[in-house]
Amino acid sequence: MSAYIIPVLFLIVLAASFIRRREPYGGFIDGAKQAVDLTINVFPYLLAIMVAVEAFRVSGASAMLANALEPVLKSVGLPKELAELMFLRPVSGAGSLAILDGIYTNYGADSYVGRCASVIYGSSETIFYISTIYFSQSHVKRLRYAIPVALVATLTGCIVGCYMLRFF
Amino acid sequence: MAIIWLIMLCASLGLMIFTDPAAAVNSMITGAHGAVELSLNLMALYAFWLGFFSLIERLGLSRGLERLLRPVISRLFPSCDAETRKFITMNVSANLLGLGNAATPMAISAINRMDTGDKKASTDMIMLTVISATSLQILPTTVIGMRATAGSANPADFLFPSLIATILSTFIGIVGVKLCAKIFDRPRKNRKAEISTAAPLGNVAATQKPRRTRVKRDRAQKQKRKAVKA
Repeated sequence: MSAYIIPVLFLIVLAASFIRRREPYGGFIDGAKQAVDLTINVFPYLLAIMVAVEAFRVSGASAMLANALEPVLKSVGLPKELAELMFLRPVSGAGSLAILDGIYTNYGADSYVGRCASVIYGSSETIFYISTIYFSQSHVKRLRYAIPVALVATLTGCIVGCYMLRFF
Repeated sequence: MAIIWLIMLCASLGLMIFTDPAAAVNSMITGAHGAVELSLNLMALYAFWLGFFSLIERLGLSRGLERLLRPVISRLFPSCDAETRKFITMNVSANLLGLGNAATPMAISAINRMDTGDKKASTDMIMLTVISATSLQILPTTVIGMRATAGSANPADFLFPSLIATILSTFIGIVGVKLCAKIFDRPRKNRKAEISTAAPLGNVAATQKPRRTRVKRDRAQKQKRKAVKA
């Protein structure tokens, strides 16, 4: 069922752009062009965090963190391999992307760990980054309950989402 | 982020000095190589999805989405003016389509318009932040692309659980903000109302306040007293 979503969506959009004469080919090229700038902007952040993440993994610190958090994660039904991802996801987009890439290469994209990681990454946001940048140009210094509410909501969503994985 | 990066790097380097100093340089260089490879993969994914999204934009779908969202936004942000609501609507619709880069400037403009010089964030500001921070993206394009790159049999097979997770988290976020607003913002108003009823020429409107909030506050105070005793 889920395999149909994207091809059908593409077909509808392409057909609609053709019928309404919006030049689908030119539009696609225009959009794709933006990817170069976007990648160049992301690259230094990605490099900095990946150097740290790789060192963190090779040194064994990552395994220690995962083992320390295993009982907590197990109690909510999540595999311990996701400890790093859960930690970095609210803080850094590039960092969690690097972890996600590592999980796919180490455990496979179709393993339970890989699918769980996909749900967590796909259904959450960089909470701390967003709240910093949204208020960056205002006088507001105290965000009060914004971050705790967002963290609790995201965590609950992720746990339920990973639980739902067993039925799909 | 800067602090976490520093802690991660220092902790692992400190650890490796004792365990395996030769691995330190190798692992960091491996990480740098990995970053180049990953960003090339990402460039392909971004180009693909951005191309597709520019078709969606040309169809005017985002404008249609904005029209659809308008009534919902005015319910969630009751004390904003029309111009601010427009920015919020644009932010939410861009987030729904996964165009986070387009969404951020809209949110900054909206927050700046809501800014009254107060150091504390207003409920509406918190609502906007929480709605964005609990993720609204319908189609997690980057994840689908990365799974396809990693050779998944069906890269989109996590979509339904992911959708459930993101809808649930946003829903809990909205309810949480409303609840926290009731708990943290209302008592102050009630205290003012009490003072005005105690005064001889008290405000009549205060007696018309719904009783439910008062009961809730009493319960909260009782719990507080219990906590103090314990």
